[in-house]
Order: sequence, then C-alpha cells, then structure tokens
Amino acid sequence: MNAIETDNLTKYYGDLCAVNHLELSINNEIFALVGPNGSGKTTSVLMLTTLLHPSEGSALVCGYDIVTHAEEVRSRISYVPQDMAVDIKLTGRENVRFFADLYGVPHARERVDEVLGIMELGDRADDLIRTYSGGMRRRLELAQALVHEPSVLFLDEPTIGLDVAARKKIWEHIRALRKKGMTIFVTTHYMDEADQFCDRVGIINNGRIAALGPPMELKARLMKDVITVRVDGDCTPPGLEGVVLIGRSGAEVTFTAENGREALPAIADALSRSGTNVRAMSLHEPTLDDVFLQAVGQQQEPHGFSDAKFRIMLRRRK
Amino acid sequence: MRGIITYIHRDFLKWTRGKVAVFSSLVMPAAWLIFVGLALPVKFTGNYLDFITPGILVMTMLSAGLSGGALLMFDKILGFLNKFLALPTPRASILIGKILFITGRGLIQATIILVVALLIGATLISPVQYGLTYLVLFLFGMLISAFATTIALYLDDHDSYSAFNTMISMPLFFTSSALMPYDVMPAWLAAIARVNPLSFAIDAVRDVTAGVFPALPILVLLVLTAIVLAICMQVFRKVTI
Repeated sequence: MNAIETDNLTKYYGDLCAVNHLELSINNEIFALVGPNGSGKTTSVLMLTTLLHPSEGSALVCGYDIVTHAEEVRSRISYVPQDMAVDIKLTGRENVRFFADLYGVPHARERVDEVLGIMELGDRADDLIRTYSGGMRRRLELAQALVHEPSVLFLDEPTIGLDVAARKKIWEHIRALRKKGMTIFVTTHYMDEADQFCDRVGIINNGRIAALGPPMELKARLMKDVITVRVDGDCTPPGLEGVVLIGRSGAEVTFTAENGREALPAIADALSRSGTNVRAMSLHEPTLDDVFLQAVGQQQEPHGFSDAKFRIMLRRRK
Repeated sequence: MRGIITYIHRDFLKWTRGKVAVFSSLVMPAAWLIFVGLALPVKFTGNYLDFITPGILVMTMLSAGLSGGALLMFDKILGFLNKFLALPTPRASILIGKILFITGRGLIQATIILVVALLIGATLISPVQYGLTYLVLFLFGMLISAFATTIALYLDDHDSYSAFNTMISMPLFFTSSALMPYDVMPAWLAAIARVNPLSFAIDAVRDVTAGVFPALPILVLLVLTAIVLAICMQVFRKVTI
C-alpha cells in the first residue's frame, strides 16, 4: 500500500482549475512538488491533508480516503504550513507539549523531551519562542509534527525565509526521517534543494504535472549541454542544427546543444548576425532549473502581486 | 474533552503572559461602572448604581465575547487554525475551547464589576442570587462567544472583524434595557429593546436582584444558546479552507 495515492485529484475555484487531474503514488521517499506560484502546490497539499475537499477525483493517504475517512487520515499525518505558526509567548517545551496533548500521545513528557532532542532544541526548550531564530522555530514546528510519530509528513515550503545553514540543517533532519521509514511530501520553490535532497520531483504547472521522476533522471532526459545567453532586448532564435531553444526567463535565453563547446561560438555568431546584443554566455551541465524551464516553458510574470518576480530576483543573486 | 482543556490551557497561558491585556480587561469594565453609574443624573430610580450594574455586567460579557472572536481570527491569520484543523482532535473542541475560555475570562471581569459596585455603594444580595446572576451571565457569554467565534471563521481579516464587532456591540447595547427601564424609553426604542437578546440577559439579572426567579428569560437564553451552539459546532465540523 502506498502512503499517498491520488486518482484524478482535481480542484476548481469557480472557473479556475487549480489542480488538474493529479495522478501520484508516493511511498517512503522525499517527494517534492515544485512549480511557480499559483501552480497548485499548496492546493494539492490542502486536499491531501483533508483541509479542502476535491472537486473531482479522490486520494488515499495511508489507505484512507481523504474525504470519507478524514479523521483516520488526520491521525496518521502531520502538516506544517508555510506560515511558521508557533506561539511566541510560550516556551519550546510548552509548544510541543500542546501538540502532544492534542494528539493524546502516551508518556507525553518523555516523548516531548525526545523530539526536542532529535531537533537539537533540548538546551533551549524552556526559553520563550520570542528568543528563537527562524531556523529554530522551523525545527520546533518539525518537533511538533513528529510528536505523534506520523506515517506521512506534509511540509509546505519548509525552508522559505531561512539562511543557508538553517536550510541545510532542516534538510538533514528531513533525510533522517525518511531513513526511519517516513513518507515526506514537500513543496518548494528552491530547485537546488529539490535537486540535492529529494528522491523524486514532480514539476507542476497550471495544476498539471509537467515532469515527474528522480532529479538525476529528469536531468538526464535533457541529455545535452545547456547554454545560457544573457541578451539585451529581443532575441531572434538562431536556426542552427542541433541547437534547441528551451525557454527564456527575463534576460536569459536558454538553449540545449549536443556539443556545447562547439555550439557556443556558433550561437554567438548567429545571434550577433541577427542583430541581438549578447552580454554574456555560459555553458553548464543541465540543472533542475533547466528541466523546469523546459517543462513549464516561458516563465510568465503572474498578475498582481509579483511574489514570483521577487523569488526569481533572489535566485539570480546567488 | 482532552482537546478542549488543552486549547483552553493554551489561550490562558497566552493571555496571562500579555500583561497589558490582563490589566486593561480588568480596568475597562470598572471604569464604565464608576463613570456611568455614579455620574449620570437620573430621576427614575433612587439607586441608579443598583439599576445599571446588571446592564454593565451583561455589557461586559458582550464585549468580552465579541472581542474574544479575535482570538480565532488571529489563529486563522497566523496559520494556527490550519494546523488545528489537520489534527485528529475533534474540531468542535476548537470552538468549545474558545467559547469556554472567552466566557470564563468574561466572568472574571464580571466579578471585578460586582466587587467594585459593592465598594461604591451597590446593595449586597444573597449567595443564591449571585449564583443565578453567574448562570445568566454564563449562558449569555456562551451565546455571544459562539456567535463571534463562528463569524470570525468566515471573515477574511482582522479589520473586517473589528468592523463587525463595532457594528454589533454599540447598537445592541444602546437599544437594550441597560441604561433605562422600558417605561422611560421612547416607544420605538422600547419596542426594539424588548426583542434585544441583551435585554433578556439584563432583565434576568435585574429579576434576580429583585428576588424574582427569571424563568422565562433563562429559558429563552438556554434555547437560543443551544441552537446557536449546535449550528456553530456543525460549521466547525464541516469547515474547509
């Protein structure tokens, strides 16, 4: 029996199809759902955690239907939303004890000490959360989520807003949990993290899975070198044999080529001939970003609040 | 049951650690009692303090209940509610926990008022009468806090919640029998006041202080509370986000 099994899972908000016939089977692995804002990641998680009813289709979590057996599902999962909701006026121990009591965990006192220890918060357990750093608060949320030994853990953007060291630590903990047999379902914006730490990645766009598989396999599917060109203004794609345009993200245009070293000067020549102003070029092995770009196509700026634009900016700064 | 106590415990700890909130919630009703009870020049009763104390008591429960809805609003905005709803703990215990905490906090404030009223010259009544007064206030508190908490579940943000709070509390208070008896009200006001749920609670407390058992108002409050509570529990059981 798979920990998570979805069958045509679909959610409409009015006319908008947020999640479109999702088909997933996930078991004892770290599965990452990655995609742009508004692609249906959080909606999928909300349905799987019984907080939202699907419009069509169904899903089983630990063998129980998320609508008809919501109570059974809830007692076997833990859900950590992205908001970082911990009571800052309570101590770490009180925060975890609160969840232990809600779950009705036997030997709550010992269990609370144990999970605080696992999350390396034992020595700060009696301090108010007010004094905790972002990374510690996130680890405290994981401790809360682990207190009843769930089979499936849902993490919505577990590392958002954390510094590099804190992010690495969170992922180490998540990997350790997987080794103990837990199934972990994460959503993330960070491609490098999905690439580095997850067993399988589903790229979701407009509510549909655009690519699904282990990061290595997805990258191998491109099977080519990736050339990124930074240009000013418009870019006329060169009609070169073996050079394929995979997408454009802001000023960066990405191509794949069988032999990158030879294609590099050819692309440069072709672009200058067609009047494109080339600023910089780079050649690299495919990354999950390239897979994402190919699967999702041209990245569109969302309407209204440009959260995605902000994230793209952050990514570029690295 | 376990869940209810755990939720109350959390809200209580959070409340007692916010010192300003505790202080202001205790001072506010006392200020009302002193400034309105002792300052208004009225001629229809000899001891206006005795007349207005039931009104202030019920008003305190009203404002405690309505402002208590903000507790759920903040749990919702800050993401706690999503976590709670995904727990196997029965969802109705979120609601019951909030209602009992808000009502309990209101009763603590009501006690302060009773003490201050005695200190500034109200008449002492018997323990049975005090018991009945608390029963009425408890029922009324349950009614208001269940209503407020469920409204908070449906409103989007804290701004709209406080707008709702203001919109409800002022008119309810001024169209009730809190400040003056029905016979000195203008006819149109008396007509509204007689169907205002606030008046039922106030009249019940006044009956108690006058030595009458307020069977009808208590029955009305009981039925009203039971209906509202049943609806609200059903809403919490079924809620999705």
